[in-house]
Amino acid sequence: MLKNFKLYILIFSGIIFFQGYVFSQEMDGKVQQCALSAGNDVTYLKDFVVNLAAAPPNQKPPTFKTSLALRKGVIYRFSLCNGESSEGEAVLRLYDQANLLLSTYYPETGKEYKSISFACQKSAAYTIVISFKEGKKGDAIGILSYVKK
Amino acid sequence: MKKFSVYILLVFLLLASCTGRVKEDLNVPGSELAPGDLKISEQAMNEIVENISSPIEMAALVKELGVPFSSRYLSNLDNIDSHASSFKMAYTLGVLGADLGYLNVYEKTGTSVNYLASISRIADGLKINQFFDFNTMKRLATSSSDIDSLMYLSLHSFNQMDGHLRITNRSNLSALMITGVWVEGMYLATQVAKEKSDTSLAQYIGEQKVILNDILLILKNYQRDAQFSGLIKDLELIKIEFDQVKISYIMGEPKAVEQDGMLMIVQQERSIVEISQEVLGKIIEITERIRNKQLMV
Repeated sequence: MLKNFKLYILIFSGIIFFQGYVFSQEMDGKVQQCALSAGNDVTYLKDFVVNLAAAPPNQKPPTFKTSLALRKGVIYRFSLCNGESSEGEAVLRLYDQANLLLSTYYPETGKEYKSISFACQKSAAYTIVISFKEGKKGDAIGILSYVKK
Repeated sequence: MKKFSVYILLVFLLLASCTGRVKEDLNVPGSELAPGDLKISEQAMNEIVENISSPIEMAALVKELGVPFSSRYLSNLDNIDSHASSFKMAYTLGVLGADLGYLNVYEKTGTSVNYLASISRIADGLKINQFFDFNTMKRLATSSSDIDSLMYLSLHSFNQMDGHLRITNRSNLSALMITGVWVEGMYLATQVAKEKSDTSLAQYIGEQKVILNDILLILKNYQRDAQFSGLIKDLELIKIEFDQVKISYIMGEPKAVEQDGMLMIVQQERSIVEISQEVLGKIIEITERIRNKQLMV
């Protein structure tokens, strides 16, 4: 009985470890793939791996928010890749304090962009916000790249 | 029954290790750094850390100025001790990260192999080597075939190592790592400025005033430690000079333009940096002194 239990424990532990390893490798692969989709004229700087739950009824959709420093005189590119099994479509917005500078989706025109470049003229801390349309559950990867001159 | 309990405990330990959020013992020679009482929250600290720009941008600016590559701007690997204290190792890891960024931007893949090896040894000492795929990077550097992948892997590894230090309650080491990146980047920019007079470079150096204030804010969380307080004291010497740099802003609404079929938003609000030659000269001199001193500590 104890012998069988030992075996189960070993198999279970192995599965957990292997799953964790595979997940991390898979995620690294997806980030790299997304970074490559940003174009041939860029250098990867940062990635934002986002996984958000669906918005509860009558509540604001959950958002991923982080700040980042952008430097004057540099052209950056923001790229977005939706997860294969994501229910919602991701939208990335860039803010300078409360002012919206860019969005990968403009609901008033319906225009959507997988990548947007940003010519920065003011070195400062900016805020990136990623959410999913209609507050749906979803996963996505955002990439910040440096556009080579 | 006793054995049964041990197995159960082992499974729990294994599961806990998979989350990557357990507190880790550093088990490295030298001083053990206690994070101490934080004056700013971990969240605020994480935000500040994200605000320290990447070493690539500084190196790319220098390259765009047409400055040729020089190994004089790099740290001397003979001084790197992978058995040093965790303080020294974390700081040096940042320094080498900045140097690697410089080498990659100039595509000096042959030299970068030595830096990759030193980074790998230090990452091993800090127990964050799992994020640094030395063999793949060495292969990419040796074959010089795919510089974009090498750059991606280098930066991604550094982002992951830094992130792991922060989520495993070693934000003090993350703070040292980003300080090392910043000081080495400043050293590169100021050494180039010493030899080449350029307004955009001088402005870039002046703008680092904001970043230095952020770095000091983080480091002061750990000032009870003698090594941290020594580093803070050194950096405050640069801050005295930076206090004379004036940054003002001209307001404007962003404009959308299309370039090569892609949407580009051009910011119209711009920052104006005023930095005198005298102040720039002092910043160059103090940065050089501090950078060399910290690498020898």
